[in-house]
Order: sequence, then C-alpha cells, then structure tokens
Amino acid sequence: MKELLQLAWDVLLFRHEAYTQHVARADVLKRGLALLVLVTLLAGVVSFIIGIVGDLRPIGARRQEAEQSIQEFTESLDTMREFFDVPPEIERDVVPSIRAGMGIGFRIEMLETRLPRLVGRLLKGLGAFLSLPFSRLAGWLGYSLWVLLVAKLLKGRATVSQMLGATALYAVPHVLDILGFVTCLGGLLGLVATVWGIAIYVKSVAVANDFSVGKAILATVLPVLVGVALSLVGLLTFVVLALASG
Amino acid sequence: MKALIRLAWEGLFLSEAPYAEIRDGSNLVLRGLGLVVLVALAVALVGLVGTALEWATTPDMSDIQQVVLEGIEQMPWYRSMQGAPEFREGFQQQWDMWRRFAPQMFGAPNIATAASRIVLLPLGLALVWFLYGVLAHLSARLLGGQGSLSQTLGCTALAVAPQLLNLVTLLPYVIVGGVVGTWTLLCRYVALKTCHRMTWGRALVATLLPAVVLTVVGMFFVCLGGAAVAVIFGGGMSQ
Repeated sequence: MKELLQLAWDVLLFRHEAYTQHVARADVLKRGLALLVLVTLLAGVVSFIIGIVGDLRPIGARRQEAEQSIQEFTESLDTMREFFDVPPEIERDVVPSIRAGMGIGFRIEMLETRLPRLVGRLLKGLGAFLSLPFSRLAGWLGYSLWVLLVAKLLKGRATVSQMLGATALYAVPHVLDILGFVTCLGGLLGLVATVWGIAIYVKSVAVANDFSVGKAILATVLPVLVGVALSLVGLLTFVVLALASG
Repeated sequence: MKALIRLAWEGLFLSEAPYAEIRDGSNLVLRGLGLVVLVALAVALVGLVGTALEWATTPDMSDIQQVVLEGIEQMPWYRSMQGAPEFREGFQQQWDMWRRFAPQMFGAPNIATAASRIVLLPLGLALVWFLYGVLAHLSARLLGGQGSLSQTLGCTALAVAPQLLNLVTLLPYVIVGGVVGTWTLLCRYVALKTCHRMTWGRALVATLLPAVVLTVVGMFFVCLGGAAVAVIFGGGMSQ
C-alpha cells in the first residue's frame, strides 16, 4: 500500500522515473488497476456516506424537502414570468404531475419488503458505491483501446498490459472528486482533476510507447477527433437525407 | 483446478505468460472446457445469491404497479382525458402491456431466472467459447498463425477470465456494465497473439473477424425470428 501511495504521489508530480519503473514491471496492469479502483472508491466515499445518511432520514422529512423544492420551482416560475412568456399549463398541469410522480416514489419506498427497509437502503447505497469503479473502468478501457490502436499505428512499443497499466494512472488526480459534493468548489476541483488526468494520460502514453510528447498528444487526441469527424459526417448525411426527402 | 484458476487470474491482467503456459501444456480442450464451466458456475451461483438479496429488499411487483396506477390516476392529464371512452380503452391496453413487460425492462429481481442461469450460463459460455475458438482458429490460420485448434481453444478459454468481475454481483445493485465484454475482447487478442505467435495487426484482425461473423449470423437469426413472429401474429390477427 505504501508503495502504491508513493507511486501515486510521484505520478502526480510527473516524476519520469516513476513512470518508466511502473511500465517496466511485470504487474504493471495490476498496479494501475489497483490505483484506479482505490482512487475511485476514495473519491466516492464521502458522497456515499452523505447518501446513506440522507436515505436513513424519516420519510416525512424527505417528503417535506421535496415539497419545498416544488414550492421553490413554482416561485421561480413567477420570477421567470417577468422576463418570458411562461405558458400557464406549466403551473396548472406540470407541477401537479411532478407532485403526483414524487408521491408515487415515496409510496413505493414505504411498501413492505421481505427484509427490513433499512437493509435494502444500505445495500442500494453500497451497490451504487461499488459500481463507481466499473463505470470509470468502462470509460477508460473503451477509450484506451482506440489510443492503443493509434499508438500501434504510430509504431508505439507498448504491449496491451503496459499501455493500460500506464494510462490507468490518469485516475490519480481524481481523488480530488472527494469534494465533488461542495457547491462550486467541487466542480472547480473536478475540472482541475480532469486536466491533470489528461496530462498524466499523455505522459503515460509517451513513456509506455517511447514517444515524444507531441506524438503522445496525437495518439491521445486522434480518437476524439475521428469520433467528432464521423459524428459530423453522420449528422450532415442525416440533414442531407432529410432535406432530400422533403 | 487450482492451477487453472491461478492462470485465469493472471490471464485477466493481459500478460502473455499464462497464455503461453496454456499453449505449451496438454489436455488443452478439456482443461479449457473445465475452466469455462467452473467460472460460469461460480458467476451464476454468486448471481443467484445477489438476486435473492435484491428480491428480499424489493417490494412486491404487483404492489408497485398498483401504486403507479393510482398515482397516474391522480395526474391532471389523466383526469382531463378519462371521460373519453377511446382514451380509457387505449390506456388500458398500454397499461396491460407495460405491466407485463416493465419488470423485465427495469431489471426486477427474478429468482427463477437467476436459478436457471446455473444451467444456462455454463452452457451458453461453453457454446460461445467453442464457436468463437473454432472461428478464431480459422481466421488466425488464414492470417499465417501457427497454433493448433486445441491450443487456440485452450488459450481462448483463459479469455473467459473477465467474467470473474461478475463475482462482485454477490452484492445486489452493483452494476458491472460493459467492462466484461471489452476486457474479454482484449484477453482474446492476447490469447490469439500468444497462441499463434502473430504480429499485433494480424492478431487484431484474427480477434475481430469471428466477432463480426458471429454478430452478422446472430443478426440474421434475429431478423429471421422477427419475420417468423410477424408472420405468426400477422396470420393470427387476420383470422
């Protein structure tokens, strides 16, 4: 664990030897994944506890809170009316529908279950918390495959395990997401973590493939550019077909 | 068996050593089949426990549907339209259909389905492993691969290792998502590259080709099934 923490610290500071030593290890993917999972769980732990505590509050208190949110929404409609033409149906139809929808949710939550409801709430919170690393893994793995392909086409030297083990380090700055629940500061720290993570990703691609930074940036960015270009072509085709069919 | 599980665990991390060890071993098809069945059984049994826990912490489905129906009946749009007989009839039809399919659509826990996976998952995984292995062997040989069919089947059996991630579903409400599929593809790539001693480009094509063929064949059968259903129901309705 101490070794992993040291690696995380060195990675954050872009220490070149830390990257090269990590990539040269036989268990590079195991270590990379361990860091990715640990960081993701650590970043989600506060939100998990807040969520659990919130779920354990009496249903009456949560209902009151929800009612208050609807009230605030209704009041905001009055403010909006000063600037826009807000259709009267919104207050007449939409607000009661939202209220009825919330009523459905609360009534379902009050239904009897075979095990005590408390157990269910804890398991649901725990399930969502433990799903976080899988969600991050899916995004990272899906994108890294394309980066790996581009790197190989650019004569990169990394094996699959070296490439994935190295790029998994991008997750380390996301430990800052632990404060994601704080208004404004959470979003700002999330942005910092994302930029920092991208820089680590580029460095990892460079070290794993023995690339220059420019080539590593190209390998990292090209899949996004190709994706955007293909989306634009698809959109353009759709528009042309729509116009042609009248 | 212990050695096989160790190899599967190491194979999960995409190093070529466990795949090379399998390639150079003996009794490859039998060992491969044993590994696939063992992993599938473990995943299915763990999934059954997870589903049972989810079922025990979820209200009865008919109670939920009753609450939803009563809630809809309280909504302004429903009240304003309930006077029209054609609306009532249409709504009833939609509601009946929703009531029938919603549990499956929203992944409501079903213990019988989870129990049936104890038989169906080993069968399904073994079938996919065998089909994929044979097709991958053909495409690898076409691309200059050197491995035998038994070596291909032995190595691609290790690629079932990402299924081990599903063991986390012992806890209900955990969503593993698409990681298993992507990871399996990577394991298959390493398996074919190691087994047939191929370059990365050829190994990539050999990995993807069987998946493409299986997808096309699968889509053909889905279309065929859809057409059959349309003919049966269309015929039934016209009578």
